[in-house]
Amino acid sequence: MENCCRQICLTAIMLLLTTSGIAQSAALSERVVAYQIEGAYNANTHTLDATEVLTYTNRTGTTLSKFPFHLYLNAFQPKSTFMTEAQQTGINGMGTDSGWEEKRFGSNEVKSLEIVGSGDVTKQIKFISPDDGNADDRTVFEIALPKPLPPNQSVQFRIHFVAKFPEVVARTGYKRDFLMAGQWFPKVGVWWNGTWNCHQFHALTEFFADFGTFDVKLTLPAKWNVGGSGVMTGAKDNGNGTQTVTFHAEDVHDFAWTADPSTKVVEDSIRLSSGTVKIRMLMQPGHMSSAVRYMDALKATMRKFDEWIGPYPYPQITVVDPPHGAVAAGGMEYPTLITADTAWLMPKSVLIPELVVEHEFGHQYWYGMVATNEFENAWMDEGINSYMEAKVMDALYGKSTSWVNSRLVTLSERGMYRTEYAPFADRDPLSRQGWLFLDDSSYGGNNYGKTALVMLTLENLVGEKTVMRGLHAYFDRYKFKHPRPQDFTAAMNEAVGQNLDWYWKQAVDGTEILDDRILTASSERADWYNKTDEKAGVTVYRNTVIVHRRGTFDLPVLLEAKFDDGSKVRERWDGKDRWHRFTWERKAKLVSAEIDPDHGYPLDRDPFNNSWTAKADGNASTKVAGYWTLLTQWLALVLSCLT
Amino acid sequence: MNGSVRSSAGLIWRHQRLVWWIFAVNMGIAWLSSLSLRAMLKPILDRSLESAKLVTGFDVGTLALLAERPEVSPRVLAPGAIVAALLFVVFLLFIDGGVLAVFLDDRKLSRAEFFENSGLFFWRMVRLALYSAVPFGLLAAADGSMAKFAGKLADNAPQDWLGFAVNVGSKLVIVVLALFVRLWFDLAQATVVRDDERKVLRTLTHSLILAFRSGELFASYIGIGLFGVATFGIGAGIWFYLPHSATVASFLILEIVTVTQIASRLWLKAASARWIALLPDEAAFSPVPVQVTQTPVDGVTDVQAQLPDPPMSE
Repeated sequence: MENCCRQICLTAIMLLLTTSGIAQSAALSERVVAYQIEGAYNANTHTLDATEVLTYTNRTGTTLSKFPFHLYLNAFQPKSTFMTEAQQTGINGMGTDSGWEEKRFGSNEVKSLEIVGSGDVTKQIKFISPDDGNADDRTVFEIALPKPLPPNQSVQFRIHFVAKFPEVVARTGYKRDFLMAGQWFPKVGVWWNGTWNCHQFHALTEFFADFGTFDVKLTLPAKWNVGGSGVMTGAKDNGNGTQTVTFHAEDVHDFAWTADPSTKVVEDSIRLSSGTVKIRMLMQPGHMSSAVRYMDALKATMRKFDEWIGPYPYPQITVVDPPHGAVAAGGMEYPTLITADTAWLMPKSVLIPELVVEHEFGHQYWYGMVATNEFENAWMDEGINSYMEAKVMDALYGKSTSWVNSRLVTLSERGMYRTEYAPFADRDPLSRQGWLFLDDSSYGGNNYGKTALVMLTLENLVGEKTVMRGLHAYFDRYKFKHPRPQDFTAAMNEAVGQNLDWYWKQAVDGTEILDDRILTASSERADWYNKTDEKAGVTVYRNTVIVHRRGTFDLPVLLEAKFDDGSKVRERWDGKDRWHRFTWERKAKLVSAEIDPDHGYPLDRDPFNNSWTAKADGNASTKVAGYWTLLTQWLALVLSCLT
Repeated sequence: MNGSVRSSAGLIWRHQRLVWWIFAVNMGIAWLSSLSLRAMLKPILDRSLESAKLVTGFDVGTLALLAERPEVSPRVLAPGAIVAALLFVVFLLFIDGGVLAVFLDDRKLSRAEFFENSGLFFWRMVRLALYSAVPFGLLAAADGSMAKFAGKLADNAPQDWLGFAVNVGSKLVIVVLALFVRLWFDLAQATVVRDDERKVLRTLTHSLILAFRSGELFASYIGIGLFGVATFGIGAGIWFYLPHSATVASFLILEIVTVTQIASRLWLKAASARWIALLPDEAAFSPVPVQVTQTPVDGVTDVQAQLPDPPMSE
């Protein structure tokens, strides 16, 4: 009886554990990959010697006979496509005059590759360059399977590799003892749109990978603070000056980790609709004054996303604060791990720490969960995330002060995006593949700036709540998937209840520029032939405003005219022609006329020509010209040190 | 306040019209150079409601969008400003002789005397200015190197404030060294005017020796420099707290700051001119031979004692 009871109790406990285990690991994504990586980091050579066991489950619905893999760290080699592009455009501090040093080279070397059950295929590794045919680029290799893999079957790759990290460059690498390990292991491509999608590592573009699980076991110097994607499941001091830490992450498509002996760990938690989420921050000792700023911004951002977009389903978020010299590793997103950016003397009025944390956390949704192809559709993660950044930062820090909020000057998210976008408005369409953009300014100005402005302008067309509802629906439908641009626009059209393809065609596929202006405005006597004196409130005036569509972007125009009797009128023009004349006959003269009076078209490249006032006000021109005069005076005084 | 500072302050006060004239020219040239900008801004801003963002506040985004317009881009405007600044430098070089003559004699010169002195010493002042470009250039290069070193230090040291501290520290040292170079060349300028000296290089050599011996004068230079920094700081502080819409008051404050900077610079010149004026000729021009002869003067054999301490002797 006692045995029986014990048996029942044990069975019940087992059932409970099993059930809770299932609940914990209930797949949120279609888990295509399962990575088990075990490696040892040598802090002296900045290398990681590791073995990766990748189990790939074929969920493509088609038989696969070959597999492409990324070896991103090989981008940091002299003849790589990444380096060639970086030198051409001088980005990432890698222009031809940047004095590239040996320490900034990195590599990823596959020592052996075995297909479990089929034997070693190392010699069959073939480097390919699907994007530019650069035979010297070794960031993608391909392997043919001895036996094709039918649908719903799995194949296991065992890869022994050595990753050599560069001194921090383009998001990854070491700086003194600090290490940010991103894109460090051989990563399989994505079967997408009926073919393998595995692009070379480009200077401008980011990444794309399949969802799955990661079990990572790392041996590194003892007493170093370590952080990684997912959660740390174990840490053991090996007693020989090393420690071994293990991490587990699921329903993510990448794994990054960091180690540094000097970081300080700050921990907290937040209660969201998905449950309690642990926040773990690895701070540089000299940046502790930013810890509270990071934490406050992160918590507020998490609440906004929880409220507006959907729940954050992971148990933890890790924030890594890189040291000063490793700023290239800052401001980057990985699943459940983000890197921040600050300085030891960061003024409170400059909201960079808040903004970076907000932006990178936003990527947990737009990249992390809604895993778009960052190579081909950068606007879908960076751009939509930039729009969310504007919404969250505006809500938290004020619409006109969400970037800089000092007594002297202010800067808003919208202002920043407009400034980024305006000079590059006619360079590249959003739909262009990332590495084909003219340069990093056009890439940033369009993918980040333009997309945010497109979404903010859309708010004015369909309503702010409707856009947010559309984003929420898009997130719900495509979380843990790889949506395409047409999936986004279709989801938005559906949520809005209108076919907005005319808008997307101009905004996403085209380089049309929105620039409506007031060409002329006047108030003339309607009875111009009458010689009597004009009388206020009696004389009838023909008030005319001509609006000119100077750009090529078709949008309906809302015009507000104000009159000297205090009245005002708002009228619409469908914007289908090059110009339109608005006329009002009334016993009052025009005081002002303004296109887009609610300032809801931030996509308009030139806001100065959107309005007209009957009375000229020289305050602004006097002020700007006055400051220029002062600058010239002071320049003269500085140069006069020679006299 | 030491004697040199006090006496030279008196000089500036008595001849303050020089400050106002130089200020007027400084402002006039800069104003003329910005006329085209003013003309180009008017059609963009004067009838635009958007311009309120630059009046009731100072929105960087709006200013940046404005600056991105080709016709008012700083890249287009900068050459005009540089030319204006250089014109002002040439003007200062031209009047240097007259100004120093005023300070050396401590009397109001007639217009003819002033411009006669200006014309007489113009090319010598130009040569001195060109020579001064060498030490100032070296200091600028040293500053650039230190800034680069500090940047690397900030990148590579465990504490990134170290780079900042080194940068600030090195800049302070370089500013002090620049003040010394200025003192050296100011002494040379004053000597050239006092003695109508044509051998500029020889004067520079002697002035360097004098500069090393003029401890109190150099202290005055530092004091006057601090006065310039303090007035700049106070003016900037007041400007910082003025409402954005107080355009006139803002300019008034900043122009007062400009006047104080010009006054500070003239104050330095006045201090060195007074020092040279009170220096006996032989001490100024024969420091090395005097050391060799060592003629006792009133029982004092140390030749350094022959060098007066001009400011204190007043």
